[in-house]
Order: sequence, then structure tokens, then C-alpha cells
Amino acid sequence: MEKDTYTRFVIPVVIVLVAVISIIILGGLASENPDGFEWALFDFAGVTEPESGFPGLFSFLGEGPLVDVLTGAVGIVIVLFIGLLIFKATSRKE
Amino acid sequence: MHVPDGIIPLWLLLLLYAVSGLFLAFSIRRINNRFDDRLVPYMGVLAAVIFAAQLVNFPVPPFSSGHLVGSTLLAVMVGPFAGIVIMALVLFVQALYADGGLLSYGLNLFNMGVFSCFFGWGISLLLFKGMRKAMDEKRAVVIGTSIAAFITTVTAAFVLGLELLSVSGFNELALAAITGVHLVIGVGEAILTSVILLYFVRAKPKLISFLKDSDVHEIAEVIETDWTTPHEETKIIK
Repeated sequence: MEKDTYTRFVIPVVIVLVAVISIIILGGLASENPDGFEWALFDFAGVTEPESGFPGLFSFLGEGPLVDVLTGAVGIVIVLFIGLLIFKATSRKE
Repeated sequence: MHVPDGIIPLWLLLLLYAVSGLFLAFSIRRINNRFDDRLVPYMGVLAAVIFAAQLVNFPVPPFSSGHLVGSTLLAVMVGPFAGIVIMALVLFVQALYADGGLLSYGLNLFNMGVFSCFFGWGISLLLFKGMRKAMDEKRAVVIGTSIAAFITTVTAAFVLGLELLSVSGFNELALAAITGVHLVIGVGEAILTSVILLYFVRAKPKLISFLKDSDVHEIAEVIETDWTTPHEETKIIK
């Protein structure tokens, strides 16, 4: 039953999520503008942007849409996997 | 809304680390053993959906952009406690991607997790209970949650603005600016919330705590009063 849920629901949803973010990022549909917080703080208030400290796990891959899609897909799988572990550990066994 | 390191004073970061840590520990304890293990795959998928949705920014013409936060959506679906756990996971992985600082993790979890989950859940519940009298519950949950997502986004931005007043150069005018730009971002949040919620209403309504036949009432229960139970008749008797 549980295996069925993974093949019928979890895997298709993950594939759809990766496909959608790939289309949005590679299609140039995602905005490159600063988000509301960054705009208000750095552009509007004129606060100096700090030198970034921790560059991120995948910073060695560089930047670009393909890297964003790849790291995004890896992130989706990591979040799914850790989420499954956390909720498996906290669920009530039937 | 992901604050990087090096902006907010350390004392405030440490304070909100402590507050968020306490809420996270309480939330994990609160959901423990309160849901069937058959729901585990769906909870994992919810976390993945929120992470994916936060990856891409939609434009806010002419100068800014925004992305889904998803706290209100999560709180309505699986309750504020499970919502906080999911947001903690998503924000932690994002911090490892340098989207939001590691030192600022507690502050980001407070704004987008603790505050937004409880505030969004409360507003959604009020709207849902009011709207349910005039329409069917599925429509009421989608419309009510979408409106609540808008209000929560703007309010969370205001809270972030209050925190930013501790930063030299960020004044009351900037507080108005960050709140104002989130009036537009909140519309995007409301639209994305309604789209994702519509999918779950059709594909997996049992995963929406506000609906009568939900499988997640127990995990979503906040306190045992009629006011916080969307459907009094389904209240769990212990």
C-alpha cells in the first residue's frame, strides 16, 4: 500500500515539480529583480549589502540557469527525503 | 524575505534563534504520534512542494520580485505545528544553499514559520468559519486561505520591517516601503496558495485539516476548544 503511494503519488509529483521549475528557470520566466526585502533594504533604504559569508553548498558549480535547475532538483529531493525521515519518525505506526 | 547574515544585530538573531528553537521543539513534540504513518509520503511531498515553489521568483513590476512563502497554506493543511516543522526543514536546506543566512536561520524561521504559521492559521480559521455559512466548505477553505495568505504576507513583512529598524539606515519610511511592496507580493502569494490548495482539495482533501473528512485533525489541533476546531462534530475525544 505504502509502496503504491510512492509510485503513484510521490514520484510523479517530484517529476512534475522538477519539470515546472526547469521550464520556469530555463524559459527565463523567473524574475531576476531583488525580492521585496532586498529592494526595501538595499535599494530603497540604501543599506550596504554585506559581503556574503557562507557561499552555499553548491557554490563551486558557479552560476547560471542550468546550475539553478540542477541544484533546485537536488534540493527538492533532499527536502523530500529528510521530510520523509522526520515524519516517519514522528508518525503513529498502525 | 530570506535575511542573510551580517545585517541584523547579533543579539536579535540569538534571541529569535532561542524563540524559534523552543517553538520548533514544542511543535515536534506536539505532532509526535498524532498522525497515521500512511500520511508520511504526503507530508514529505508537501515539504518538497514548498521548497520548489520558493525556488522561483515572480516579477513585481517594475523593480522587485517575490516568491511563495507557503506558511498559511501549510498551517491550514496540516496545522501550525506541522507547518512550523516543514518550514524549519525548508529554510534549513535553503540556508545551506546560502538563501538566508545560517546565523539568521532563527529569525527567518520566526518570520516565515512560527509567526506566519500561527497568524495565517488564525486568520484562515476566522475566515473559513465565516464563509462556510455562505458556501460549501471546499470553496470556503480555498477562498479563506488565499485571503489569509495575503494578509499574512503583508503582516510578516511588517514584522520583518520592525526587526530591520534595528539596522542603521532603515527607518520608518523603509518600513512603509517593505510593507507596501508586499501588498503586491501578497497577491502573488494568494494566487499561488489558491492554485496549490485547489490541487490538494481535488487530489487529496483528507490532507486539509479544515475539511470535515480530513485525516489530519489530530495533528492540526491547537487547543481543545470549540473555537479552534473547524468542525466541532469531528473533535477528537480523548
